[in-house]
Amino acid sequence: MDALSAFFTVFANPELLALVAVGTFAGVYIGAIPGLSVTMAVSILISFTFSWDVYPAIALMIGIFMGGVYGGSRTAILLNIPGAPSAIATAMDGYPMAQRGEAGEAIGITTVMSFFGGFIGIAVLALAAPTVSDFALGFQPRDYMLLAVLGILLVGSLSGESLVKGIFSGALGILIGLVGMDPLTFTGRFTYDLPLLQSGISFIAVMIGMFGVSEALAQIHHLDTPAIKQKINRIVPSFGTIRKHLPLSLQTSTIGVIIGALPGTGGDIAALMAYDHAKRVTRKPERPFGKGAIEGLVAPETANNAAVGGAFIPMMTLGIPGDAVTAIMIGALFIHGLNPGPMLMIDQPDMFWFIVGALVVANFFMLIFGLTGIKLFTKIVEMPRAVLIPLIMLLSIVGAYAVNNSITDVYWMLAFGVLGYFMRLYGYPLGPIILGVILSRLLDDNWRRAIISEREDLGRFFWGIVTSPLSLTLFIAVILIFVSQTPLWTRIKARHAARKEKATDQ
Amino acid sequence: MTPDNHDIEALQDEVDDLHEHPRDTRRPGEAAFTLLLVAFSLFLVWSAFGISGFEALSAPGTVPMATTLIMVITGGIIAWRTVRLPQSVGEAFGRDILPPLLIVMALLLLGYALLLRPLGFLPTSALFLILAIKLLWRQGWMRTLLVSLGALVLIYFVFRIVFTVLMPAGIVPEGEMLQWVRNLIPGGN
Repeated sequence: MDALSAFFTVFANPELLALVAVGTFAGVYIGAIPGLSVTMAVSILISFTFSWDVYPAIALMIGIFMGGVYGGSRTAILLNIPGAPSAIATAMDGYPMAQRGEAGEAIGITTVMSFFGGFIGIAVLALAAPTVSDFALGFQPRDYMLLAVLGILLVGSLSGESLVKGIFSGALGILIGLVGMDPLTFTGRFTYDLPLLQSGISFIAVMIGMFGVSEALAQIHHLDTPAIKQKINRIVPSFGTIRKHLPLSLQTSTIGVIIGALPGTGGDIAALMAYDHAKRVTRKPERPFGKGAIEGLVAPETANNAAVGGAFIPMMTLGIPGDAVTAIMIGALFIHGLNPGPMLMIDQPDMFWFIVGALVVANFFMLIFGLTGIKLFTKIVEMPRAVLIPLIMLLSIVGAYAVNNSITDVYWMLAFGVLGYFMRLYGYPLGPIILGVILSRLLDDNWRRAIISEREDLGRFFWGIVTSPLSLTLFIAVILIFVSQTPLWTRIKARHAARKEKATDQ
Repeated sequence: MTPDNHDIEALQDEVDDLHEHPRDTRRPGEAAFTLLLVAFSLFLVWSAFGISGFEALSAPGTVPMATTLIMVITGGIIAWRTVRLPQSVGEAFGRDILPPLLIVMALLLLGYALLLRPLGFLPTSALFLILAIKLLWRQGWMRTLLVSLGALVLIYFVFRIVFTVLMPAGIVPEGEMLQWVRNLIPGGN
């Protein structure tokens, strides 16, 4: 009963309803404008909303998250520039459709399918999260530690150029999170007796620097990329088209939820996997894939929106973020004094049901804003980058300053902005850094708890891992990720590919 | 890499090798950057050792030592791979990595941070936006002023009034200004 009333909080409160609407609207545009990203928007917003009550703040950020995942598809279709990584697969068939003058239809299908996928994701979240959190109560400290390592490794291995660079980024993130006084023994770590370092580095300054300023600096290279104008026709797709693709969208939504729920993998991977799946199961597409096949739009768009609900599962039940955006959402919950994990679900189930309710509302608003306001949209997307870049920079500084009213945070933010700029340019992924910063405390605490409970004995620690099915599974997953990077794996894969080629030759 | 010249097989490859995009050349400055990261990591290992040494597995220095050691190892591998790559042709450090425009923008940001406290939010932001937009947009002064000041008013309204973010007032009598605006609205006190 309580769950139900918490679920309907957003529906019944006009202020919260308006905030979700504003957030979703803003999210659609932020996701669509190349150069603005959801990670950037949410990390800057955390600092602006931290003095708010927790419900309004979360309502706004959920709107932005939901709208942003969808918004990327718009520019992918119209300009062939995916506004967000999760829309890369959408551009493959969306842009060819726009070239044929079917931009409106493509946007319509994308919107309806995103809505559909979004719902499946939320439904799975509502059904699965309580069970997962019950299960998670039995987790040992070592399991949390392994999960944190796994999450950082997965993000590191799936983004950027190589796993090695991903691991480096993840370790750097953990290190940034460790700076300051150790909460257990009050020993200074990497403080060099400087008061500046003793209170640690504000993770918001790191986030805004990495995703705000560094992105804005990188955009200076693309000042002269021209915007392309597109004429847009009918938008609302016919019922027949939707019904025809319903079975496929169910399958790809399922892929989306599962991929989204794995720690470390988010909408971008889900979309690519779903696209690949659609290509394999669609026997006779009306048009070949890559030339404007509707299936090629349905699959990634259902999957990346379904992944939103999926990504909330590990975030809410374990406190382990699925990707950079959920890492930042966890940061937002931290700021509001909430501690995501199985205890949150038991102590404050209202919070969970409120978030589920807000996601549902955001999904509806996404459908409404997706099918309307195209004229305004084309105007906003044409906003010159030369104006956008200084504005992002200004907002980044204000955001970094606002949390603690501290100019030191601004300098940290700028330093991380410059570092992030070079890391971006040289192919180091930034997602693992943020995951590392967010998870470093959890990793450190749980390692120490685990090893103390094993009386400082590494042998007993490993025996514990081997004898617990859960720990063993997690441990094997960590090992597998490493093995996938060694020459051994490449050799196995090459042999597999050769066999496949032989099979197709015959 | 635009999806335009991507055919299906390229996508297939992308799905297969999501984590394997080794470049075959090295960008200008990349080797120096990588070596700098390794040197920094080595310094950090030494600092991490200084926290508690090998006192106990649960000591405050254990995770820092493990983390920094991982940084040294992975940094070393990255450096080894990077240094052996041939330098990319047709790219220049002063043009493709750190063009003068970028340095100027970074300096403007630093200037903003330095002036924010003494000068206050409104004048500093106005100065920053006008200079930055003029520099990047290369349009006439009228347009530049109009756009930057318009944007500033909008940002000020949203963040100062709606989000109630407190920024340093500096030389601007902000409190009096806001009070004056409130007095204009009947019952706005």
